[in-house]
Amino acid sequence: MKERKLASVLSIIAANGFLPLRRQPLFLINTLTSPFSFLFLIFILGGPDLIGYGISGGLVLTILSIGTSLQGDMTHYKADLKFQEMVVASPVKAGTYVTGMALSEFVFSIPGMCVFILLSVFYAHYIFLGGLIVLATLILLWIFASALGFTLATYLADMRETFMIAPIISIFLTVVPPVYYPISRLPPVVRPLAYLSPTTWAANLVQGAMGISSTPLTLGQGLLDGGVLLLSAAILFLVAWKKSQWRER
Amino acid sequence: MDALRATALSKQYRWSGGTNQALKSVSLTVPKGSILGLIGRNGAGKTTFLRIASTTLLPSGGKMDIFGHDVVQETNLVRERIAVIPQESRPFYWMNPRELIYYFLTLRGHTREDAHTRAEQALSELGLLEYADTLVSRLSGGLRRRAMVAMVMASDAEMLFLDEPTTGLDPVARRSVWEAIRKAAHAQRTIFLTTHYLDEAEALSTRIAILERGTLLAEGSREEIAQKVQHPYRVVVSGGFTQGELEGYGEPTWLEDRWMLFTGEKDAREISRMALERGARLSVAPVSLEDIFLQIVGKDISRDEEGDDEGA
Ligand SMILES: Nc1ncnc2c1ncn2[C@@H]1O[C@H](COP(=O)(O)OP(=O)(O)OP(=O)(O)O)[C@@H](O)[C@H]1O
Ligand SMILES: [Mg+2]
Repeated sequence: MKERKLASVLSIIAANGFLPLRRQPLFLINTLTSPFSFLFLIFILGGPDLIGYGISGGLVLTILSIGTSLQGDMTHYKADLKFQEMVVASPVKAGTYVTGMALSEFVFSIPGMCVFILLSVFYAHYIFLGGLIVLATLILLWIFASALGFTLATYLADMRETFMIAPIISIFLTVVPPVYYPISRLPPVVRPLAYLSPTTWAANLVQGAMGISSTPLTLGQGLLDGGVLLLSAAILFLVAWKKSQWRER
Repeated sequence: MDALRATALSKQYRWSGGTNQALKSVSLTVPKGSILGLIGRNGAGKTTFLRIASTTLLPSGGKMDIFGHDVVQETNLVRERIAVIPQESRPFYWMNPRELIYYFLTLRGHTREDAHTRAEQALSELGLLEYADTLVSRLSGGLRRRAMVAMVMASDAEMLFLDEPTTGLDPVARRSVWEAIRKAAHAQRTIFLTTHYLDEAEALSTRIAILERGTLLAEGSREEIAQKVQHPYRVVVSGGFTQGELEGYGEPTWLEDRWMLFTGEKDAREISRMALERGARLSVAPVSLEDIFLQIVGKDISRDEEGDDEGA
């Protein structure tokens, strides 16, 4: 049988996204827990003034968690279930499988997305343009997160490594860089370091669109932020593509 | 046309700490519509061979074709026609067998109606209907394995690679898998399976291949392989013979209360005649596949050990 890309992608979304949800609805709030904990802490410690950062950070974190679950699932299916091997030995191509998996993980983030987008609208009262920027940023971030998940999945051999590495990576992408706080809080000497994390650029966009950063978002800055996000996703995909052991050597 | 053709196929695993020559110039053909049973001890290279054929592992040398398509150069053409159950693969625990088959088929590109029909058929063929709606997490190990078999059998793949498909199955379940495999072969599908159950290889395979430490020691129909062994008869006698007497015919093994030895046809006749004269109990039968396997692989091991001694 020839490959039927769309059919395959839809099948993965149903089997890996909606079916587990139907069996275990708790998955729905699972991705909400971390961003809500941060939001709560920020509100308690910083008061209403800083809550905008809790919301914009929550958006970034929610999308990023797609990468984490993508990586976990792909490693699990490859190493433990040997399912990936069944896919390799079938008409389904690697790109189709990864696309389907990345989209299926998106399903779990829908509640988080909805909640935080609503919160951001209430908080920032942004109009059309701001909303568009946030949406575009989230899509770019989703591509980046999927690329990251895919890349990690090709390097991590089993779930033990996943449990070890994933939290570390998550901290260096969400807690350390200025995702939950304005970059101006960092001492000027370390600010350039923050730009090493693609999430800094994403957060800059979201914070700008919500009007909570000290400097307003200019068109040039916005394009730069988006460009960097896209570039880092592309580089990661390239690395994953070159390195991925779709077929073992 | 041959479904599979391997020519001087070799595989060397390499990692930072060393290498392992898992396959050494293996040549093998599998005719379309046949059932090939690949047998061999642990670590013989069965999975390695099967993985190269099913395009999940790259060979180091030699050539392998599936339906005339090179597994390295024309991978996509090969993948359109095959399906595999990897050794130690496990089904998704949050699905039931019906969903497992259905989603595997839609993933492979079957339409929803087709996937549905095929799933029901496979469930019934493999005796899984009564478990069709039970979550995998609640199924026993053997039932899980059967669900995996049902997944690939239900597909439209023309060649199926099954790495130890019946490990952990009860005797009745094994026979239902055999039945399904035979039916697939009747429908001109080609089956390549590995197994450690020699009775299974014997009952099921139209061709048998014996692999030992990366080398193909024998290949052919059950009868062709039997002709390769020096001693095609299994003789068992109780009483009437001394060990020394029997040693004149072969290497007798003491089985609690009787002697067993492998012999050629002439010797088997002679021992039978003598047993009759002496009133000893005797049975003579053609060797089983297990006997053949032990003779062929055993000879290879002892030859190797002799070689080692010389080297020392
Ligand atoms: N990924 C790997 N890296 C290095 N060596 C490997 C790898 N996989 C298998 N081997 C080695 O290759 C040889 C053949 O292994 P293979 O898995 O093909 O054996 P097998 O006949 O399937 O055995 P079993 O009956 O135990 O499944 C063994 O010596 C094994 O240790
Ligand atoms: Mg094996």
